[in-house]
Amino acid sequence: MVDVPAGPLPTRVADSALRVRARRGGELLLALLKNPTTVAGLVFIVLLLGMAVFAPLITEPNTPDAYQMPRDWGALAVPPGSPGHPLGTTNVGGDVLYGLVWGARTSLRLSVIVVSLTVFIGVTVGSIAGFKGGKVDEILMRIVDVFLSIPELIFALAIAAVLGPSFRNIILALAVVFWVKYARIMRAQIIHVKENEYVDAARVIGDSSWRIYFKDILPNSITPVVVQATLDMGNIVLVGATLSFIGLSEAGIAEWGVLVSEGQSGISAGRWWASTFPGMMVFLWALGFNLFGDGLRDVLDPKTETSR
Amino acid sequence: MSLVGGIEPKAAPQARAAIASVRDLRVHFRSKVGVVHAVDGVSFDIGDGETLGLVGETGCGKSVTARSFLDLVPRPPGIKAGGAIMFRPHQACAACDGAGCAVCFDSGRAPESCHSCGGDGCERCGHTGQHTVDLMSISGSEMQSIRGNRIAMIFQDPGKALNPAMQIRDQVAEVFFQHRTADLLDDAGLFADGSEPGGSLLRRKAGLRTRRAEDVILSLPPFRSRRGRLMKAVETRIADALAETQIPNPRKVMDRYPHELSGGMRQRVMIAQALACDPDLLIADEPTTALDVTVQARILQLIRELQQRHKTSVLYISHDLSLVREVCDRVAVMYAGRIVEAAPTTSIFSDPHHPYTQGLLAAVPAASHERGRLVAIAGNVPELIDPPDACRFTGRCPFETSACLANEPQPAAVNGAHEVACFIHHPLPGADDAPSFDRRVR
Amino acid sequence: MQIRDYILRRLMVLPVLIIGVSIIVFALTRVGGSPIGVYLQTGMTQEEVTELEERFHLDDPLPVQYAYWAGGVLTGELGWSGVAAAPVTDVFLPKLAATMELAVSAALVAVVLGIALGTFAGARRNRLPDHITRVFSISGAAMPLFWFAILLLIVFWVYLGWFPIGRSDPNIFARIDHPTNLYTIDSLLAGDFGAFKDAIWHLILPAATLGYGATAIIARMMRSSLVEELQEDYVDAARAKGLPERLVLRRHARRNALIPTVTVIGLSFGFLLQGSVVAEIIFRWPGLGRWMADSVLRGDQATIMAYVLFTSVLFLVVNLGVDVIYAYLDRRVVLGE
Repeated sequence: MVDVPAGPLPTRVADSALRVRARRGGELLLALLKNPTTVAGLVFIVLLLGMAVFAPLITEPNTPDAYQMPRDWGALAVPPGSPGHPLGTTNVGGDVLYGLVWGARTSLRLSVIVVSLTVFIGVTVGSIAGFKGGKVDEILMRIVDVFLSIPELIFALAIAAVLGPSFRNIILALAVVFWVKYARIMRAQIIHVKENEYVDAARVIGDSSWRIYFKDILPNSITPVVVQATLDMGNIVLVGATLSFIGLSEAGIAEWGVLVSEGQSGISAGRWWASTFPGMMVFLWALGFNLFGDGLRDVLDPKTETSR
Repeated sequence: MSLVGGIEPKAAPQARAAIASVRDLRVHFRSKVGVVHAVDGVSFDIGDGETLGLVGETGCGKSVTARSFLDLVPRPPGIKAGGAIMFRPHQACAACDGAGCAVCFDSGRAPESCHSCGGDGCERCGHTGQHTVDLMSISGSEMQSIRGNRIAMIFQDPGKALNPAMQIRDQVAEVFFQHRTADLLDDAGLFADGSEPGGSLLRRKAGLRTRRAEDVILSLPPFRSRRGRLMKAVETRIADALAETQIPNPRKVMDRYPHELSGGMRQRVMIAQALACDPDLLIADEPTTALDVTVQARILQLIRELQQRHKTSVLYISHDLSLVREVCDRVAVMYAGRIVEAAPTTSIFSDPHHPYTQGLLAAVPAASHERGRLVAIAGNVPELIDPPDACRFTGRCPFETSACLANEPQPAAVNGAHEVACFIHHPLPGADDAPSFDRRVR
Repeated sequence: MQIRDYILRRLMVLPVLIIGVSIIVFALTRVGGSPIGVYLQTGMTQEEVTELEERFHLDDPLPVQYAYWAGGVLTGELGWSGVAAAPVTDVFLPKLAATMELAVSAALVAVVLGIALGTFAGARRNRLPDHITRVFSISGAAMPLFWFAILLLIVFWVYLGWFPIGRSDPNIFARIDHPTNLYTIDSLLAGDFGAFKDAIWHLILPAATLGYGATAIIARMMRSSLVEELQEDYVDAARAKGLPERLVLRRHARRNALIPTVTVIGLSFGFLLQGSVVAEIIFRWPGLGRWMADSVLRGDQATIMAYVLFTSVLFLVVNLGVDVIYAYLDRRVVLGE
């Protein structure tokens, strides 16, 4: 039997691991900045987030609901460069620039809420599956497999359709579809980490399972989750905009997909700006997060592959 | 300063010029931290029909040297920084047409006459009268005709060096299709009386130049039987080559994939493939490292037998001295990108001159050593980025002097065919503290 | 043989997954609107409605309802599509044909172009063609299909007027028979090259749009796969045999690099399926995707249900097929090297 001294041991494995990680944080940043595509992605992200955060400063909010597109009946469908409307207006006089800026805010809300929800649900389910193992694990993973059998967009489409067109329902639909990846990632990480020695070491010292989980397993499993979350920040907006484009959101709100859809009618008449600019924003948003997420993955986990 | 190859008494020196002469070879690598001088002024000769061992620890540049013969060093990051590899390819002996006779010393291969002087001796052929090419500067297509044909290479891990998704037959066939196209067509009895229906397609097939669609056409009835004859011709050659390396059931082995064979068998396949076109020089890059000890011995023996039968010259790369002792006629020891000592095998083992060589030999656990004493060479291999002008063994050498820190020793003869690059044996003129060396007592 | 076991294992899981998907779809029908909505038609009498309710056991607990619903699905009882004003089963096949024509064309383009591009880039690693391809691939992955489609629409249809939208010119379409419902094939069968040209001309824009994303994914995978293979020893060994570089690439490196790329081809199939919804909307293509989009907006439950079921089963089957092919090709993996 090991002769364990009374009281907690002076250094815990996880503490030193955390200290190492803090030091590596600085190295991480440097490594990230070395890759030009990653930096490009970061720049896009910063610009777009800035746009979202400073929306009220860039363009006057539309009262009473800033997220409703304003209507300027005096300037219907004017082209870019017109006075007061640098990027033109839509068929009903909505300022395109306003749509871009407040659409960024909408996208931010959407992606943050959905990603938070999905990470929370997915990590929880994955942790349970990974920790408990056995039957629980099998059942949960079967469920995950079933969810993964339905193509993402189509699944979200069906859910949003059944719930009814609204912004809130799009959030729900996306959350239901996108949590599964995190469950898989988390479970795989836990199984991998469980087999690692320092968890056994912690057990020997007498840590409770909870403590082990939060101090040892979670911090070390978080990396692929962070990478996937970054990528999802981009993709959620992409899929969400597609759902809005198809028509599952509310008409008239400042959301990029809605704007592209509403701008369609002017296309055959040559009025390209109402659809082109908002669509470009979706592209830049998805591109930025994808580039940065890829770079993040290369730096943090060069060998692992997380799904798109 | 160069070593003349082959102490074999059977040959007159002019007729047996070295098959390859490496002259001041320099190969560098660009890296994030600087330019690594992996091979920095290496010179040696490989005699005709001789087996030369190139030994050194990992990272000393022996693999890079070997790969330079066939231009297999990846060129970024590698840089051809200088030097030449003179190669004197042979051709089928005119007297016996490749069968083996006294003129070609039974090898079937005889030196080719120099294209410039017709055998009289000139600048281009280094006054040997033999056709000479510089492997460092020939064209791509010339190199292609030499690779696998006049110079062949076998690699360390046969499991990795064979294409895992290709049958043995297809892989070995490539060598024949590439280099023996005309012979294959003859064997198959095609084009014997002039033209042949579907001729151009068949020629292309024999030359490995068909595309998928053309292959499909060739499998159709009018061409099918002729293609069949071509394939039979190839398969016969493959079977013969495999049989020569003592592979049982060559016809069955041909159908297999590499992972279905054992390590030893795979290496035999590699050897068969390499010797298929009867090359003048075989480069063996640690061919037994990845094999079991028992298999190692048999493969070594096989190499030795084949070498004697075909009179092929061999460049044998290894880090294992005991192996080298078994197989090689001469040994060159490499350290940190340079040759430090070169001598006939017996000489090197009985009378090592360079401190590094001595250290290597002492480090090999042998029955004669005292129990409990493992002798290691102190220190580490130096960084090879912008190396200073000094002997590279400084810091580890028990006999070093101030002269060693300021100048780089060059290889020079000690007695007869034994060369060393060390200031102990060739002190610099005017050096004050010529070290008194005590040769290590064993 | 191990491959056989692998295939069997995957085959046995398949029904479980399909049942799981059906449960989700069933849940969806219960969540939105009336549970009978799938089978309702306008102009039904109250008696007919009651009869439906009894037939599908709406009074009984959910598991029983599920059983009857699933039974209905298996016997072809897929409900009435309000959008198409017909039973789902009647309209499904022609629309499927239209979508398949589009998807297959896009897939062909994507596979051929993607592999070529990936090989081109991988063989010239870190040089200009590689960088350009990388930009192309990354933008393809992040590209919103609806935006890309609109861009192409604006450039090629509104301004340049090179290509038409929709599937066909109705006059030309009407003058041939449609045994297979595939416009391209039918026009060839009828020997009507004018119709064939009409078919192709209408196909180009939507297929290019749809294929872009898939091309990007395939090119990216092919490139990285090729780069990996080129670092293997057998490539050097092939060079050492005297094979010219293009043969080394073609016979050895590329052939082996294609194997992992097969898996991505399966993945891109899902991409094409989903993309078809948007592409069909924008290019007015009368396929399953547009039918689904209309149904989603108008609450046509029957179509939504059928579409989700169909695409999921297809997705599962294709992925299984791809995995099996991959296992067969990569003997190294399956036979435990």
